[in-house]
Amino acid sequence: MTAHDWYIENRAAFVARSLEPVEERTFRDHLGRCDQCTREVARLERELAWLPMAVTPVAPAPDFVRRMATAILDRPARWRRHVPLAAAAGLALVAAGTALAARSEGRDLRVALVARETRLMALEDTLSVLRRANMVLQTRISMDGYPQGGMLIFQEAVSHRWGVIVHGLPPAPSGSKYQFWFITESGMVRSVEVAASMQRPAFMTLPMPGVAAPVMGAALTMEPMVDGSSEPQGVTLAHVVF
Amino acid sequence: MPRAEPPRVERTGQSGDAPGGRRPLVLAGEASLRRRLAARDEQALVELIEVASPWLLGITHAMLSDVDEAEEVVLEVFASAWDRVDSLGDGHDALLPWLLRIARNRAIDRLRRRGRWRRKIERAQAWGELPPDRVRAAEIDESAVPGWHVHESVHAALEALPVEQREAIRLAYFQGLTHSEIAKRLEIPMGTVKTRLRLGFDKLRVALAPIKDWIV
Repeated sequence: MTAHDWYIENRAAFVARSLEPVEERTFRDHLGRCDQCTREVARLERELAWLPMAVTPVAPAPDFVRRMATAILDRPARWRRHVPLAAAAGLALVAAGTALAARSEGRDLRVALVARETRLMALEDTLSVLRRANMVLQTRISMDGYPQGGMLIFQEAVSHRWGVIVHGLPPAPSGSKYQFWFITESGMVRSVEVAASMQRPAFMTLPMPGVAAPVMGAALTMEPMVDGSSEPQGVTLAHVVF
Repeated sequence: MPRAEPPRVERTGQSGDAPGGRRPLVLAGEASLRRRLAARDEQALVELIEVASPWLLGITHAMLSDVDEAEEVVLEVFASAWDRVDSLGDGHDALLPWLLRIARNRAIDRLRRRGRWRRKIERAQAWGELPPDRVRAAEIDESAVPGWHVHESVHAALEALPVEQREAIRLAYFQGLTHSEIAKRLEIPMGTVKTRLRLGFDKLRVALAPIKDWIV
């Protein structure tokens, strides 16, 4: 038996993916050097191509196609989006866009419609994070030792983003700001400033921080307005570790 | 579960009917669909999702036993297809088998990566049966799903295998177990696992040959 016989014997196992991980890597490396095996594996894949259809199909949910298409087509904008989103502000923009469209013609109308569509997509995107969350965490916010509103975190696994809602928090005192932080295994990572209002909750859609360390939790602090340090300097208002 | 909206398909092959009076399954104008996808036609993407979703959900749900995770994999598959429209199926594969292969591979990657592996084996042991039978969707309208006759043919080919070969193939192909894991699961030597798989796949290749012709 030659060394190549092993590859010949295991072509079907490679296609089925029943080789051990080390064997699979070895086989894959071999494919880069062996035209014969590459051809035969491709032939086997074609011959067994319909085998997955032995499984009974599953009827998608009624909105499945729309959800899939929307998620795929909106992706580039979604991945880049990390601007805090206030629902009320969005509605105001929609209203403004609608009013503008009513007054304008031609180009103005198109611009307004695009703006409205963009805003609606943003709102829909925010809602999708909340609806698809696989985990929801709630924590109380404390100011000067007294409960003052709360913070909700919706973890969404598909796009690896969080929907964060901060409610019941008064506007930050003059010269201060509310700052949201990710807690990672390698330390705190600054996220966005939270624009709080007693009248309206603050909505934020946040991507995971661009660090290799896993995210372990989140914190809300009150920082000096001009602060830009990489670690919290002010008072911790809320803190949650998973 | 509400019934899926009937996808658009046509069965063609006036001069090339497969044995048994079956006709090739062809996505409605597959060549045209490929061109439209390559041209970033969003409606083409919607059509592809409509046609392929029941089968992609079927295989991923069967392997992962988790509706949400199955949907995530299917989303990844369609996103991958949309991102690679220029080389979609590289001209040799029909679209659906190509998507199915990606879905199955990604499901296996997830099983192995996420350490759900052991729980999956335990579940399979507890059932004493395999996912394909467990996930049968009673609500599905067979006439509304394109490719149902392919499903019947493939399922029949699998069922025609000797039970020990079928079992080995189901564990390897539909649950992503490796040789050593199958040997442990069935309490048989690894050499026996390899033999059963090899014999089983050889028979399946023969049995599925007419379907392979449908692809071409």
